[in-house]
Amino acid sequence: MASLPATRKSISQPAPLADAVDALVTRRGTGAETNSSDAPITAIREMPERQADWREMPGWVRQELAAAYRAKGIERLYSHQAAAVEAARAGRNVVVVTPTASGKTLCYNLPVLNAILENPDTRALYLFPTKALAQDQLAELHDLEERLGDAFAVFTYDGDTPGDARKAIRERGHVVLSNPDMVHAGILPHHTRWLRLFENLRFVVIDELHTYRGVFGSHFANVLRRLGRIARFYGSDPQFICSSATIANPGDLAERLAEERFDVIDEDGAPAARKTFVFYNPPVVNRRLGIRRSYIHESWRVAQEFLGRGLQTLVFANSRLQTELLLTYLLQANLAPPGEPQTIRGYRGGYLPGERREIERGLREGGLRGVVATNALELGVDIGSLDAVVLAGYPGTIASTWQRAGRAGRRSGCACAVLVASSAPLDQFIITHPDYFFGRSPEHALIQPDNPEILLNHLKCAAFELPLKAGERFGAIEIDAAATALEQAGFLHRSGNAWHWTDEAYPADAISLRAVTSDNFVIMDTSGGEPEAIGEVDFPSALATVHPKAIYLHDGNLYSVEKLDFDDRKAFVRQVESDYYTDAIRYTQVRMLEKAAEAELGEAARRTHGDVLVRSQVVGFKKIKFFTNENVGAGNLELPENEMHTTAFWITLERRLVEGLPYGVAERQAGMWGLLRALEAVAALLLMCDRRDLGRVIGERPPAPGAEAPPAAAIEPVPGKALEFFEPNLYLYDAYPGGIGFSEPLFRMARELAGRTRELIRACPCENGCPSCVGPAERGEKAKAVALAILDRLPE
Amino acid sequence: MKWLNDDRLGAIAALRRKLAASHEVAPQADGRRGGRDRLAELVGGTIERNRYGEFLRVRRWLAQPEPCTQPQALGLVAKPEPAAEVLGEIGRSDGWLFLDTETTGLAGGTGTCAFLVGLAWWEAGGLAIEQLFLRDYAEEHAVLLALAERLEARRVLVTFNGKSFDWPLVETRFRLTREIEPQPPQAHLDLLHPARQLWRLQLGSVRLTALERGVLGIERGPDLLSELIPQMYFDYLRGAGPEPLGQVFRHNQMDLAGLAALAGHLARLLVAPEGAEPLELYGLSRLFERRGERARARHLYEMALDAGLPAMLRRAAQRRLARIARRDGERAVANSLWRELAQEDPEDTNAEGSAERRELLETILEACEQMAIHYEHAAHDPAEAAAWTRRALGVLAEAEGIDRRFRLRWQERLDRRSERLRQGGREGSLPAA
Repeated sequence: MASLPATRKSISQPAPLADAVDALVTRRGTGAETNSSDAPITAIREMPERQADWREMPGWVRQELAAAYRAKGIERLYSHQAAAVEAARAGRNVVVVTPTASGKTLCYNLPVLNAILENPDTRALYLFPTKALAQDQLAELHDLEERLGDAFAVFTYDGDTPGDARKAIRERGHVVLSNPDMVHAGILPHHTRWLRLFENLRFVVIDELHTYRGVFGSHFANVLRRLGRIARFYGSDPQFICSSATIANPGDLAERLAEERFDVIDEDGAPAARKTFVFYNPPVVNRRLGIRRSYIHESWRVAQEFLGRGLQTLVFANSRLQTELLLTYLLQANLAPPGEPQTIRGYRGGYLPGERREIERGLREGGLRGVVATNALELGVDIGSLDAVVLAGYPGTIASTWQRAGRAGRRSGCACAVLVASSAPLDQFIITHPDYFFGRSPEHALIQPDNPEILLNHLKCAAFELPLKAGERFGAIEIDAAATALEQAGFLHRSGNAWHWTDEAYPADAISLRAVTSDNFVIMDTSGGEPEAIGEVDFPSALATVHPKAIYLHDGNLYSVEKLDFDDRKAFVRQVESDYYTDAIRYTQVRMLEKAAEAELGEAARRTHGDVLVRSQVVGFKKIKFFTNENVGAGNLELPENEMHTTAFWITLERRLVEGLPYGVAERQAGMWGLLRALEAVAALLLMCDRRDLGRVIGERPPAPGAEAPPAAAIEPVPGKALEFFEPNLYLYDAYPGGIGFSEPLFRMARELAGRTRELIRACPCENGCPSCVGPAERGEKAKAVALAILDRLPE
Repeated sequence: MKWLNDDRLGAIAALRRKLAASHEVAPQADGRRGGRDRLAELVGGTIERNRYGEFLRVRRWLAQPEPCTQPQALGLVAKPEPAAEVLGEIGRSDGWLFLDTETTGLAGGTGTCAFLVGLAWWEAGGLAIEQLFLRDYAEEHAVLLALAERLEARRVLVTFNGKSFDWPLVETRFRLTREIEPQPPQAHLDLLHPARQLWRLQLGSVRLTALERGVLGIERGPDLLSELIPQMYFDYLRGAGPEPLGQVFRHNQMDLAGLAALAGHLARLLVAPEGAEPLELYGLSRLFERRGERARARHLYEMALDAGLPAMLRRAAQRRLARIARRDGERAVANSLWRELAQEDPEDTNAEGSAERRELLETILEACEQMAIHYEHAAHDPAEAAAWTRRALGVLAEAEGIDRRFRLRWQERLDRRSERLRQGGREGSLPAA
């Protein structure tokens, strides 16, 4: 992924691409009314080609290194590369913000390798969010290693590293490529074995910095605190070089994560291809119900416009299920001749590593013409440049949308990206407000390293690594109070001036940086006799995707789940023919634990944020027919509950407000659910967070403040069986244990939240509610009116 | 969040308040507790002091076991194979240091601490034991300094499972001091590995206590469950009475004595295997074979077979002996063993469990193959060679419950040979598979 010589010419052919775009623009959905507001294309933006901005190779770069780069075709640097290497050379912490494939790896490799050539004792630790990305970098560094006559040694160190190779890596690796999870559970708890590395640690490189947000980022910030502690113990003080995709606050994020000052380098000197960005809204097929044509179908057809013209195309979907659905459709439309390998593949988290490497290679080398992927391909995995990208559904954030779109025409020539909106409120808001999207800076990446649950877990790990000294600081926190709490809980013992780990367990094992639980379910295919592992899913998803009787989709094949073995964390599946897939039904309950702050919201409503306990359970599933999306059956399930302590923001509708609404009980309940749904979409927009970071649920307001509250049950209403709430709390909770810092900002922004939600619902062209505002009208004919009536009783 | 089981919600909320409020100062832990002083009395120890501070030391002298008289024999179990000068060092039993630690866990990593370092060496016709104990974590430096001094005086470390556990742990603790750098031992004899080879088949378990009972004939009497040890130490740290720790000291002494006795027994066995049990003889031959001492290995396999082995081991010994004989060029010896093995009954009910059945099957297949090789290439009797190959194919075809890869591999090998034999050597004699 190094920068390529400027002489490289466009390889894509503009004619078929332009044809495909024309075909999209002129296409009208059959059966849809053809007035202008229904035109599927809501925006076409041209991003002009950009020329490279060159700088000379700095004079301090050692001869042999400059020669090695020259041999790779790199004689000069882009302006941002030059700025980054100069800042790194000067010993400053740097974060480089540029699109993928703008030569960011040179920004860290050049200063690091130069330092190693100057002093062979120098050590560097590179951290990548995934093993795949580390593997990619390994290839690039091996190439340089060879060109430099083995003047340095580079290794990956991750869960796949064989035991007998580990010792050599610890002793001899100048550059160690790893990931936060391995640092957390494999390196720091054994730091004495990494003496050479820690005593000489001069650089910590963090690639794809923007991925460290939310719960993962909060964990990672604590891993870096621990890393800093250990480095100090061995007398080193490493400098950071980070790279990030475009987000609103790269400098803040870097400073929050590493707790150091950073130089931000964000002008991009790399050339860029001419690119067309098209917004596509599936046509309305039923105005009264606000039903649009399925965006999965439309994405498939859009992708087909490109694939049919021989253009290499990447389709992004937002979930595993959608990925597999699109793959199924595209495979049927592009069947390979008998005996030939398929030219369309799927790519997502559950695939095994070997399979993923093969797909990446297929894309680079052109053997694959189309890939349907989840965000697993959004990061800097090297797949070369593609002609077209189709986004099936808004990825949830502006940053992610640009990142995915950037997969088209990464280097030169011209390319096209198409966003196909789903009928979800956020998608509809974005697709109908293109200026909001194109004019707005991308999201802030938020982290909360001092989330108590996360912090305490990492303090346990830190104490395991080195005793905690009284008065010591852990990031911004003085540890004494927390250490005392851990002492009382029996994990630490104070001896003299320090707290020592006093437990038999190895704390890092029990703490996953990425999810609530660290254990994954392995998918075992029993179709061929001896069970064979074909993939894995994490615990929370397992309950929803591989419950008994579920139809599990993997690489376009359908499997029926025969058995879910909780003890061994295995799901046994068998390949089947099926004309339906399954969708899990989840029930959620919330219990309010403690209020952090409360205030009024108009005359008959209140806004609050605080701690809650959320319990959710998969209680059944629906069978949904392929292509038609008909509901063709259902089943009940008995699966364990998932319990989570987190933070929430909620709006309380007081009794007089609820009873003052001129509607029946069922209508009022439907209206509340519809309102909460719209509130959630707008909250995600205002917070600039991923919509999956929030959860929603309604509960009855506890009887009296401070009194022991009965658990307020809330279940998504089944049509015709609405539960009556007298004083409902409409909760929006952080979808991570311990909370991730969204509740307090929502509390502050409550008025704007209500105002924007009113705009969204009012502006929606449907009559009685649709998936784009308060949800489908089947919930109740009056949901939209009731939601607006409630909003009218909240302050402007 | 296992640790907050009792009142997890309350604890989190309380902690959040604490973190938010100005930081409260933790109450100073009580430095001296009654249990701590009573422990020295209970275990008969003394408080020692060096430049890092104090620690508790216990010394004992045991008349049994008696010092090892053939220490150099243990050079045979040292890994890697020791150089001459190291072998000389191993041969001086007054240079040995037995080590066994009691730790705060089995997980390893920097958070596991050796709170009791048990040492022993031969002295005055018996075994001297010295135990170094941390009355609190703060005493670790002092204990490690004392340990470094012992390691300097005696350069051959003898442990049981110390290669993968005690020694790396001790090394980690030294590194964590950033100050005390011990001299690494010249040789490290870990008796677990030879013990496994010699006695696992016989005893099933090669835990030290099992070896004491089954091999040395020592009965420990009451002892504690070693899984309980970390918690006993944690309780002591938090002020519980010293009695349970007294048991830990005793347990550690028994481990050291058992280890020393085992070393002596092993050395005697290696020097003079004649009186050994058949199963030990088999284990010893394996040990010599791995060290490349083929002549001794062969002699011991023969002794073991003469002394009588259970069917499974008898076949294993015959198979190994046949291989050595073949390598030594003694075809007749090898062939008579292969012939016997090739005629074994694959359904032999002595073979229990899938691993044993598979081993039996593999032995028969290899033996048949060896017979076929012999007839094809040495005796030039293709018909006989084909007959042995057919037997192997027949045995393979009737075998049940073996994995697909194993079956395919053998099927392919045997099919190739049969095909070649069918062509009747028209292309001349082909090299053996």
